[in-house]
Amino acid sequence: MKTERWKDEWVWHVLLLIAIFVMLWPIVFMISTSFKDLDQVFESTLNPLPFPPTFSNYTNVLREFPLFTYIWNTFFIAACVTISKVITSVMAAFSFVYYDFKYKETIFNAMLLTFFIPVTVLIMPNYLFMSKLGLLDTPYGVMLPAFADGMGIYLMRQTMRGIPKALLETSVLDGAKPHHILTKVVIPLIKPAIFANAILFFINSWNEYFWPLLILQSNENLTLPLALQLFISAEGGSEWGVAMAVATLTSLPPLVLYIFCQKFIINTFMNSGVKG
Amino acid sequence: MSKNFKEAILYLLPAAIIFLVFYYWPLFQNIYLSFFSWNMVSPNMKFVGLENFTELFASAELIKIIINTVLFVLFLLIFNFVLPYIYSFILGHLVKKGNTFYRASLFLPATLSLAVASILFLWIYNPLAGPVSIVLGWFGISSPAWFKENYLVIFAITTIIGWKTFGYNLIVMLAAMVSVPKEMIEAAKLENASNWVIFKKIILPMTSPTAIYVFTITIVFGLQYVLTPVNMLTQGGPDQGSTNLVYIIYQYAFTFFKTGTAAAYAFITMVVYLLFLYLKHEFLDKKVYYEN
Repeated sequence: MKTERWKDEWVWHVLLLIAIFVMLWPIVFMISTSFKDLDQVFESTLNPLPFPPTFSNYTNVLREFPLFTYIWNTFFIAACVTISKVITSVMAAFSFVYYDFKYKETIFNAMLLTFFIPVTVLIMPNYLFMSKLGLLDTPYGVMLPAFADGMGIYLMRQTMRGIPKALLETSVLDGAKPHHILTKVVIPLIKPAIFANAILFFINSWNEYFWPLLILQSNENLTLPLALQLFISAEGGSEWGVAMAVATLTSLPPLVLYIFCQKFIINTFMNSGVKG
Repeated sequence: MSKNFKEAILYLLPAAIIFLVFYYWPLFQNIYLSFFSWNMVSPNMKFVGLENFTELFASAELIKIIINTVLFVLFLLIFNFVLPYIYSFILGHLVKKGNTFYRASLFLPATLSLAVASILFLWIYNPLAGPVSIVLGWFGISSPAWFKENYLVIFAITTIIGWKTFGYNLIVMLAAMVSVPKEMIEAAKLENASNWVIFKKIILPMTSPTAIYVFTITIVFGLQYVLTPVNMLTQGGPDQGSTNLVYIIYQYAFTFFKTGTAAAYAFITMVVYLLFLYLKHEFLDKKVYYEN
C-alpha cells in the first residue's frame, strides 16, 4: 500500500519540489551573494557557499550609509501603522457586529472598497494635502493615510462573528457596558487573530515602497525599501554584494517574524474565510 | 444587538475619517483637477474643460497603455491565478505527506518587500553576468536584455510579482481546497475518476467563490504590485513599454508634472476598476451563487 501510494504521488512531489526551488533559490542566492567579495560575485556567481565568506559588504554598508537610521525609520512607521490599524479595525468591526443600524451593509462595503482603490489614483490629491499640512518628508506623512485598513476591518468582523451570540447577550444581561464587552469579552477571545493581523500589518508597512517614495525626500528620512533604490542609481548596479547585503538586512525582520509566527500567519489566511 | 446609533458611529469614526479624507475625498479632488491645466507648483491653474480627456483619448499612447495593461493581466493570471490554483489542488488533495513543509516554504517570498524582489531579480536577470544568463549560456543561448525590450519587459516584471505573490494566493486557494470533503474525492477515486475529472467536476465548482476572489486580487492588486519593479527598474520604459493604467497616473503627476492629464487618467483607471468589480459582482459572483 505504502509503495503504491508513492508510485501515485511522486510526480506531484517532484512538481512541488521544483516550485520550492524556484521560490527559495532567489533568497538563498541573495544571502550568499551578500557574503561574496567583488571577484566571487562574478567568478562563482552560482556557488551558494562563498569561500572564504566576507563580511566586508556589511561593514561597508554600515560605514557609508546611516543604516541604523533607516532601520529605525522603517520600524517607527511600521509600528505606528500597525498599532493604529489594529485599533481602528477592531473598533469598526465591533460596531458592525455588536450594533444594528441603518445602511450598515452599505457603510461596510464602502469601507471594504477602499482596499481595492489603486494607490496611484489617490497619490496626487493626498500628496497635495500632505504638502498643505506640512507633512512632506516626515514619517507622519507616510503613516497618516495608513491608519485604517479595509481588509483589516473585514477580517476582524469575520473573526468576531465567530463569537457565540449567547456569550455577548449574557454580558449585556449582566449589565456590562459596550466598551466593557469589547475589552473584557471580545478582545480576549480573538487575541490570536488580532496578533496575526498585527503581524501582517507590520510586514506590509515594513515593505511599503510607493507612498513613502513620494513623501520622504531627504536621505536621513528614508526607509529601508527606499534605501535599496540608492544602490541601483548611485552604484550603477555593479556593487551587487553590497546591494544584496542591504536587501538581506531589509528582509531579515519579516523573515524572522514569519519563521517564528508562521503557524499564526498561515492559519489566519486559511481560516479567515476569504470567500469573496 | 444594540440599536444605539450614536455609539455605533463612535466606534466607526476613527476608520471612517481616514477613509473619507484619504480615500474618498481624493476621488472628487481628481475629478476637479482633471478640468485644469496645472503643473502642481505654479500659482495659476488654467481651466481647460474636457481638453485633458479629449487629448488623452486621441493619443496613441492610450492604445499602448491598454495593450500593456492587458498583457500584464494575462501574465499575472498565469503566475498568480492558474499556477496557485493547480498547486493548491496538488497540495490539498494529491499528496499526503510534507504538506506543512511545502506550504511554509512556498509562502516565504510573500513576506519580502517588492523593493527587495526588484533589486534581486535585476541581478538575477542581468544579461551580462547574472545567473539566468549563465544558465542560458549552458545551452548556447545569449541572454536578452530583459528589462530593455518591449513585451519581454512585461514578462520579466510579472515573473517578479509572480515570485512574490504565488505563495499568498496559494494559501488562500488552499483554504478552499481543504474545505472540499475528502470523502467526495475518495469516492470519485474509487470509481476510477482521473485527477482531471475530479478537478473539473468536484474541485472547480466547490472552490469557485475563493477562486473568484483570487482572480480579482490577482488583477486588482497585481497591477499595483507592478508599480514597484516598474518604478525601480524601468520607470515605465523602454519607450513606455512597461507602463500601465495604474503607473501612467504616477508618471504624469510626478515625472511630467501634468496634473490635469494625471487626474484624467486617475479618473479613467478608477472607472475601469469599478466597472471590473461591478462586472465581477454581477456575473461571476451571482453565477456561483446560483450554481451552489
